Amino acid sequence: MQTKSIGVVSWLVAFLALSVAASSGLAGMLLAVEEINAKGGVEVGGARRPLKLEVLDTRDLEPGVPLSEALLVVEKLVLERKADVLMGGPVRSEAAMAAMDLIAKYRKVSILTTGALTPAYHRRVAENYAKYKYLFRITSEAGQLAKEAIDLFESIRQANGFDRIFIMVQDVAHARAIAGLVGKGLEQKGWTVLGSEVYPTGALDYSTGLLKARDQKAQILFVWMDHPETAILVKQWSDLKIPVLPVAGISSAVEQPGAWASTGGAVAYWLACPANAGNAPSNATPLTMKFYKAYTDRWLVEPEGYGTSSSYTGVYVLADAIKRAGSVDADRLVAALEKTDTTGVYGRVRFDPKSHQVIPSYDPKEGAVSTWFQWQDRKRVVVFPKAIATGKIQIPPGLTPSKGKD
Amino acid sequence: MLRSILIYGLINSIILALTAIGFSLTYGISRVANFAHGALYVLAGFAAWVLFYRLGLNYYLALFLAVVMVALIGAALYRFALIRVRGMPISEIIVTFALGTALLELLRFFGLFGSNYGLPPLRRATLQLSGVPVDFQRVAVVVIGVVLIAALWLFTHYTKVGLAFRAIAQDEQAAMMVGIDPDRMATLSLGLGSALAAIAAVVLLPLGYIAAESGTNILVYAIAVCILGGLESPAGVIVASLLIGYAQILSVAYFGPHYQMIVALLAILVTLVFRPSGLFGRQKELEERV
Repeated sequence: MQTKSIGVVSWLVAFLALSVAASSGLAGMLLAVEEINAKGGVEVGGARRPLKLEVLDTRDLEPGVPLSEALLVVEKLVLERKADVLMGGPVRSEAAMAAMDLIAKYRKVSILTTGALTPAYHRRVAENYAKYKYLFRITSEAGQLAKEAIDLFESIRQANGFDRIFIMVQDVAHARAIAGLVGKGLEQKGWTVLGSEVYPTGALDYSTGLLKARDQKAQILFVWMDHPETAILVKQWSDLKIPVLPVAGISSAVEQPGAWASTGGAVAYWLACPANAGNAPSNATPLTMKFYKAYTDRWLVEPEGYGTSSSYTGVYVLADAIKRAGSVDADRLVAALEKTDTTGVYGRVRFDPKSHQVIPSYDPKEGAVSTWFQWQDRKRVVVFPKAIATGKIQIPPGLTPSKGKD
Repeated sequence: MLRSILIYGLINSIILALTAIGFSLTYGISRVANFAHGALYVLAGFAAWVLFYRLGLNYYLALFLAVVMVALIGAALYRFALIRVRGMPISEIIVTFALGTALLELLRFFGLFGSNYGLPPLRRATLQLSGVPVDFQRVAVVVIGVVLIAALWLFTHYTKVGLAFRAIAQDEQAAMMVGIDPDRMATLSLGLGSALAAIAAVVLLPLGYIAAESGTNILVYAIAVCILGGLESPAGVIVASLLIGYAQILSVAYFGPHYQMIVALLAILVTLVFRPSGLFGRQKELEERV
């Protein structure tokens, strides 16, 4: 039986690593491939063919963002492994941007399913569609997540009267973009942005920033860091008893199910956004908990965080597109993907026809829904958006809400 | 702000001193620049994690055994690998760098990445020092760091092995004439330097997490401190740690956190340009005089 290869461009580690947590996107993708292959594979021209996954690690999340290594992996997947489609990463925005020309040159369809949040990615596709039409992104992007963060903070203000925020982000493209967008957006809505600090990847101490937030009487600490060192920040916030509501965006150190244990409970009250719904338990669509259960049964851990549900969904969307295109020919596949309109784990999945960015929404019936959860009593409880929330935000001790301020 | 800068500057300085003292001691005695220093640091943390969480040993016993194990590995590194390239600095660097990289990649292969592995702090508590909150583990880091440095000074000044270390460091040939075996001393120095890296790991890793990626960071900081202070000078390590430690905290407070990494690298650059031996080093003293 002939097999089709899906090259996975980027994972933090190869699958052989013992810790599945950091390769959760890959685990999601493997689960989808196994499910599809168990049914005989993808139907092409009346015959079913299984999907084959080739996995290489671009290592682009490491300090220093080694771009050359990431590009080498992209080229290796195309030329040596003969992948028909590229999925996954590169994960770091800088590496994904650098890989765009390479992928366009080889005319390979690429679906980013995790990482690479920079809005510049889909903007570039829209600006030069003819060249970059092979590139799709099925997960969220910084502009949308910034909008959601602002809406979340506004809902917190309405409920608690908080309007003073301190921002701490990592020195990488998407995080700097988020800090700028959220800071500016909140100031326009009357918030006081007390500071916006940028930390290098691999920074080991956050005490000065935390004490600044405390001294300036911040009520919300907005953190956007995807490096594992965020675990240090979480512990320092807890140890120093900084009286702010900590809200992390995409942060592996906060969003993973093991965060409570690895931080000794210091992660309590932290909010995080593992982007798409399904990365924390909710009932966004009938498929959400079905995926959640299947993943937990397969990997003996709950879906770990960012990139998990989108990588799983990405494989199903690709399989559907291959079936409709009747081929993995790049141009036919692009046309099929552009016509995608299906319900996935995190809502309705459609791509913007010009930018190839998945269309977002707060309503899972209309588009891809994100999920923001808070750690409450060892559990990840979804608190935003309202349509899929399973609980309400709890305020940490030492921080007093002033309801009715607005 | 000033009080927090003073307190956290001191903590940061002691952290740097702990990461660098083993590297400096090894170089001072054996003249081997141990580029596996960062990997041994990570290995010690992982060993302690396995002994404590997987084998269920008493926490302090697990930490002790991890230090002993890494010390033995360090000594074996000299006895079985470095001894063959003794006296060839470039080869020594290549050997230690290669072994360190292989070790880190092996740990990474077995899943030691991300923030899933951590050691518990000695005690979960927060102290107020002049109104500045400091967690108990950071206070312990300062106390352990100071005690360790004092113990090392006593060891090198009042024990036979310590005096032999200093003799070798001052003049290897003269030391040999009075019966000191340089290979034995080099083995011991690699073992002790590795033990110091391991002590730094078990003291510092409860502040964050254990991951293969941190091995490179630790090595860079150790080298930065040693180059600024003088590669073979323990006093230089302390002074350089204070300089870089406070410079980092000041840069975070007044210029922005993203400058803190630059401070360490800038220290290497400036020192190599203006005083290649470092503040207290004598390695290239003659050249500098000329």
